[in-house]
Amino acid sequence: MRRAGAARASLWAGIAAILLMLYLPLLPPVLFSIAPEHAGEGPVTLRWYGEIWESELLSGAIATSLEAGAIVAVVTPVLSLAAAMAIRELRMPRLLLLLVLLPLFVPGVSMGLATAFFFRILGIAPSLVTIAMVQTLWALPFATLVVLTAMSSFDPVYLEAAYMAGANRWRAFRDIELPLIRPGISGAATFSLILSFNETIRTSIVQGPLNTVQTYIWSTYREVGLSPSLYALMTLLIAVTFALVGAYLLRAPREA
Amino acid sequence: MQSNPAINRRDALKLALAAGAAAAVPFRARPSLAGGRINFADIGVGDPGGDWSRYTKSSGYGVNLVSIGNAPSAILNLLVAGGGTGTYDIINIVGGMQKPLVDNNLIEELDTSKIPNWTKDRNIGEFLTAGTPGFQFIGYNGKIYGCPTVLQGDSFAYLPEKTGTLDSYAALFDPRFKGYVALEDNYTTAGQKTALFLKASGQADIKNPDDMTPDEFKKVVDYLIEHKRAGQFRVIWSSFQQAVDLIVSKEVHVIDCWEPMVFAAKAKGVDAVYADPKEGYLLWAMAAYVVRNPGRSAEQEAAAYQLLDFMLGGWYGAKITTLRGYMTNTDAPDYAKAHPDEFSADEAAKVASITENVRRKFTKGGTWQNRWPTAVEAYESEWSRFKSA
Amino acid sequence: MSVAAWGRRAFLLLPAAFVTLFLILPLAFTFLVSFWKRSMLGMRPGFVFANYAEFLTGTRLTVLGRSFVISAEATLIGLLIAYPIAYFLARKVRPRATRLVLLLFTVPFLVNYIIRTFAWTYLLGRTGPVNALLIAAGLTRGPVDWLLFSPFSVLIGMISSYMPFMIFPLWISIAGIDRRLIEASWMLGAPPARTFLRVALPLSLPGIFAAVIFSFVGCFGESAVPVILGGVGYQLIGNEITSTLDVLNYPLAAAMSSVVTAAMLALIGVWYLAFDLRSFLGKILSRRSSP
Repeated sequence: MRRAGAARASLWAGIAAILLMLYLPLLPPVLFSIAPEHAGEGPVTLRWYGEIWESELLSGAIATSLEAGAIVAVVTPVLSLAAAMAIRELRMPRLLLLLVLLPLFVPGVSMGLATAFFFRILGIAPSLVTIAMVQTLWALPFATLVVLTAMSSFDPVYLEAAYMAGANRWRAFRDIELPLIRPGISGAATFSLILSFNETIRTSIVQGPLNTVQTYIWSTYREVGLSPSLYALMTLLIAVTFALVGAYLLRAPREA
Repeated sequence: MQSNPAINRRDALKLALAAGAAAAVPFRARPSLAGGRINFADIGVGDPGGDWSRYTKSSGYGVNLVSIGNAPSAILNLLVAGGGTGTYDIINIVGGMQKPLVDNNLIEELDTSKIPNWTKDRNIGEFLTAGTPGFQFIGYNGKIYGCPTVLQGDSFAYLPEKTGTLDSYAALFDPRFKGYVALEDNYTTAGQKTALFLKASGQADIKNPDDMTPDEFKKVVDYLIEHKRAGQFRVIWSSFQQAVDLIVSKEVHVIDCWEPMVFAAKAKGVDAVYADPKEGYLLWAMAAYVVRNPGRSAEQEAAAYQLLDFMLGGWYGAKITTLRGYMTNTDAPDYAKAHPDEFSADEAAKVASITENVRRKFTKGGTWQNRWPTAVEAYESEWSRFKSA
Repeated sequence: MSVAAWGRRAFLLLPAAFVTLFLILPLAFTFLVSFWKRSMLGMRPGFVFANYAEFLTGTRLTVLGRSFVISAEATLIGLLIAYPIAYFLARKVRPRATRLVLLLFTVPFLVNYIIRTFAWTYLLGRTGPVNALLIAAGLTRGPVDWLLFSPFSVLIGMISSYMPFMIFPLWISIAGIDRRLIEASWMLGAPPARTFLRVALPLSLPGIFAAVIFSFVGCFGESAVPVILGGVGYQLIGNEITSTLDVLNYPLAAAMSSVVTAAMLALIGVWYLAFDLRSFLGKILSRRSSP
């Protein structure tokens, strides 16, 4: 037992070390978000937090990111569920899988370029919808793989048991399978949201006059340099996330 | 300088901004203005902090500023794809793009008689008239197309505490600074500056650094590769933020960059100096073009010209110089001094000194940046060779 | 079939239709364009191999190779880190702690990845904290140059971007392994290592497959990390394509794009052949694959 204890401890240490490495890059932005610009402002300042909302462009970008993220986080899991079920039930699983995974294999620039041409030919104006479309395309393979891996540990025997008990397909699915693969679906939704939020290249190509937080940061980084209010925004996001994590942990846990 | 000009690769991503905008962007009319709005596409330099009130007061028109990238691909797509020319009235970008724009009927010739400030701006008369090399930034085939809103001369920056005073581009290749040099990822700036140096020092036979033949540029790249392999360069930067960070963190001691980065570094307390090399400067100008749109109403056209005039005026010039550190027009210093309610004494002094400094650079000369050289594709593939060497 | 059944079938085919319409068609168009001729501001329809010739015989090809290598390295290292973590979390840790840890892995992603990436330039620079620490600890006399603007920093950037992605599919897959199979193996006398190699590992292959794809393809298409952390022209293929787009050489960009896409498809083809997909899809397909 002692050996197991030592092994456990070292694994936890390893995880901690990895987490440390991942969190380290978060420090500079947080520090910069409170750094004063002029010597006269004192050691720290909260001025940048206020300035986030003063920039019309940035506020617009935040709104667009949220809207696109919401759409993607809802549409993609549904599509990926459909894809996973299709792969399971229809006659050409390998082809379907290949199709759904395709967006993964296309470099961001090419995908953006190809879809932009396409939209132009079809006469589709760039808008929130085109942004959401491109991000959904990008998130779809990830989400599908997540759902598939969740499904792969689900034994269809249970479904058959349900049919034999008289349930129709929909009820069997809803009452038996769905609860068991729910972690997969919510994983897919989370993944999609994260991917949507982080998506830069494909989005920038089809966004037209709109901006998302990512594309806005990318262009200010290149053209005029980052402003501390962007760091402040990032710090806020981190704080909000930690708050959500804390809230999630404080509620009564239900072991799925 | 906004040497993102011809080729900042990542700006190509903005090509979609264009492709997208091209597919007919619905501009929702925002009422509350006597006239309408001028749709003004700008790369970020021409924005006077969002304050167009003085222009609106005199013209009755508002300004709708749209941010675009500086790469030729972004600009050309913005206008070439149908709908672009119908959407934008003026685009304000680094000049020198007349040839592709005019050849594709995308911009109009300027009627300078409609721009009263044109003759007042001494910069135009002295540096940009027909016959001078500067003309290629605003003119084509003898006609004028661009209104020069910003002028600047580039060289490189260094940290005197680490390098002493430097006065030649040779510093970029000096083995004493091996590993502590950074270049911009841009063949029309870094490449052209290197060519200027090689020609001036007699190390290469280059007739015209402004427009090199593929062979000449190949020599430049060979030289660069030789130094790259020797470990001369720490990094090739491609974004504003990156360059400022490199200076502020003192990661490099000599860096090919734009003057605003030196201002930014100084504001953070780092003693960086923008060099005055004996070979001269890389000169460039921003040009505001009027997009060709036969469907534009006469009132809108007049308002557009008024905007051009406004940009050649004292307030706009002083504002832009204060915000970005670039020279604008010769009216700016006088205006700033005469209006202490709008510009503090410090700002006025800054405008005056920047204007004087840049005019000195233009008088001294160097090489005029060429955004679309004849052999641009050779430039691109040679530069690619440099980067993957 | 009844309306409901048709509706259901349509629903199932929706993703495939979506991808076909918005990805395959555009890609086909791109492939077509790769044969067109370059003309001043754009391109003219034609049929020439010049673009491919230019790509495949020039220095750009080495860039393609370099992209493969670095992506493979980042993926392999990432996998070696992520798998033990996922295994540990899935099998040896209480669900609540697991969820917390997984959430902790997610949080950094809400910070813009460009900011995260260039934060590394602060951390790893000559005057940065890591070097300061090394010098203070006496481990090195002067700043370590290869920490930044080198293959090392590019790897760090890639791994910290993509490794957390890998943890999720691995965890889902391992967590789904039926405990009874592991226990059966023990009951049959196999030592833990053997159980792992012959039972747990193969059963987690779907997760490994997913994780490897996420990481490899993501790294391959990267253009921000090499630019910010790579130093002197650390070009990857994504950068090459954008740079040709800058001079409006659409056919060449299209050609490079098509080659890259074809290469990735070839990879997935190899995978399909090497791993009988039925074993991956096995349980999912069990209703159909009944012999």
